[in-house]
Parts: sequence; structure tokens; C-alpha cells
Amino acid sequence: MWWLRTKAYRRFAAREATSLFAAAFSLVLLLFLFGLSRGRQAYEGFLRWLERPGTVVLSAVILAAILYHAGTWFRLTSHILVVRLGRLVVPRKVVISGLVALWLLVSGLVLQLYARF
Amino acid sequence: MAEETTTLRVARYRPERGPEAYVDEFDVPYREDMVVLDALNYIKDDLDGSLTYRWSCRMGVCGSCGMMVNGVPRLTCSTFLREFHPKPVVVEPLENFPVIRDLVVDITDFLEKLREVKPWVIREEEKRVEDGEYLQTPEEIDRYKQFSMCINCMLCYSACPVYAQDPEFLGPAAIALARRYSLDSRDQGRSQRDEVLGVDTGIWDCTFVGECSVVCPKDVDPAAAIQRTKVDTTTRGMLAAVWPFQGRT
Repeated sequence: MWWLRTKAYRRFAAREATSLFAAAFSLVLLLFLFGLSRGRQAYEGFLRWLERPGTVVLSAVILAAILYHAGTWFRLTSHILVVRLGRLVVPRKVVISGLVALWLLVSGLVLQLYARF
Repeated sequence: MAEETTTLRVARYRPERGPEAYVDEFDVPYREDMVVLDALNYIKDDLDGSLTYRWSCRMGVCGSCGMMVNGVPRLTCSTFLREFHPKPVVVEPLENFPVIRDLVVDITDFLEKLREVKPWVIREEEKRVEDGEYLQTPEEIDRYKQFSMCINCMLCYSACPVYAQDPEFLGPAAIALARRYSLDSRDQGRSQRDEVLGVDTGIWDCTFVGECSVVCPKDVDPAAAIQRTKVDTTTRGMLAAVWPFQGRT
């Protein structure tokens, strides 16, 4: 249980463990596709399952975990990605801000698509 | 007024006394500008001459005086007592290495790993002296300079939980130094180093906990060196798979 020993190790364990929730969300997506492929009744059954209070709580937990997990990777990416402008290295905070801005932009576009259909 | 003191709890291990490590407590005079190494030197000079530890430059350059200070790998020459005073300071040998005596650890494993990555400039053919120096632009120096700041203090090995679990792991400093030379425009030995780096016990053993970079006293960021080497070797491998005609270096 070395990963419980220090605060830094626990943060690492939290980063790795929250990746499981990305897998959980993929499973929900798969269930959606199965429902869709098996006809209207199955699809409506899936929608009803989505609206059950337990599923809503599960979705909220998955969302929180994935947001945390994504946040950790923005920070890590800034260590790996070196952006040079001539001899100047763009500071890590600027790289993180750029990545977050890009993420918000893409999320906004997806939301707009969702609103349109 | 009595002189202000601070307490050091120092891990002791003397093989001739038995296999068990124990702790000795010392009270040393406290001054705001004293570092942990000053306190150890005071103990050695005035309280117990048998205390054994490594040190040399006392200015954060030689990399000899790395120890666990209150559970964190630190250079004792740059760790001030005022950070902990009036609480006691616990000094232990660097974790993840076998202890030889008191605060001295066996660094053989690190030295062998360092040699494996060939941390020197490799040339296929040396220029003749009369042909002049190998010149570099400031931009070429910028590419590797950060990784060249490593002082081999091994704090990163002590902080690395992967090295603790798998002593075969090449480790942060050796990989950072491999990268330092492979990024050097004068070097032609990258493929030789990649053979050592690109295996399970090389870069791929690292899970990016990142503590090596946190404890590094010279801001080398070995964790970044490892991840960037992963990206580079993967990119080169993918490119070679789709375009096998490129020149190999």
C-alpha cells in the first residue's frame, strides 16, 4: 500500500483511480448503442434507466471523477509539452491555460451542436 | 540566558553493533542561518565523532549530502533548521538504497545504471584537433541545458516509488542524463542509449508519479525527461513504420 503513504502518492493514486470512471462512462455509451440497435422499446428502456435517481447520482459521480482526471492531465501535459518561441520557453501556466481554453472551446461547440438537434 | 537549542533525531546503523538500526537524539545550538548539515557537523565535532555521513561542497553542487529530512529526500546543505524549529528534525539515510553505516548509503546500483546510459558525447568519428571545436548555437544548448544541471544527488531515486518497487528500473536521473546527451547536437549516440531506455525497465517502467521532479534540488525535472523520451521514441517508431526509408541516427 505504498500509494497511501504520502500526500503526493495519494494524489497519484487518485489520478490513476479516476481513470476507471472514464471506462465506466464508455460502458454507459455502449449501453446506449446496444439500446439503440435493439429497437425503440429497448432504447426507451435505456432512457428510463438513465433517468432513475440512482443512475443520475452515478452520472454525477462519473462526471466529477472525469473532470478531476482531465484536470490532472492538463497539469501533466504542461510538463511534457515544450512550446518554444525562439529562445523563449512558454511558461507552464500559459500552456495549461491554453489547453483549458481549447477544452472549453470544444465543449462549447459540442454544446451548440447538442442545442441545434 | 541559556543558548537556544534544537533537537536532531538521527538514524544510526553500525553493523559491528548488530543488524538493527536505532535513533540517537542530539541537542545542538540553534541559529537561524544553520542548515541541517551544520547541525550534523556540530554533532560530529562536539558530541559524537562516530556519526558517519557524506558531504563535501556544502553549497548544493556536489550532490553528496542527500538524506531524508523529516521523511523527505533533501540536500542537507540547503535545508535550514528554521524550517522545522522548534520541532525536532529527523535525519535518516536516503530511502531505497542499502545502508552502509549511519547516514551513508550504497550508491553502486545508481553508478552502474548511470554508466549504462553512456552519459558522455558519443561520436562515430572524432574530428581532428586541427579541425577545431564542435560549435553550438545558444538554441542548441537550450535543448539540453536543463537536464545537464543534474548533480547525481540521487534524491529522485529516493522519492521514486517505482524504483522502490522495482530496483531494476533505470531511474529518473539516469534517464534525464541520457536525454541530456541524446539532445546534444554534438552527440551521435542516441540509438545506443535508446536500446537501454526503450525496454520495460527503462522509460516504460515510469508511471509518472512526478515526485522525482518535486524533490530535485536543481529543477532538472527528470519526470518530464522520461515522458518526453516516451513521446520521442514512440513518434520515431510510428514514423519508421509508415516511412521506413528515413535515415537512422
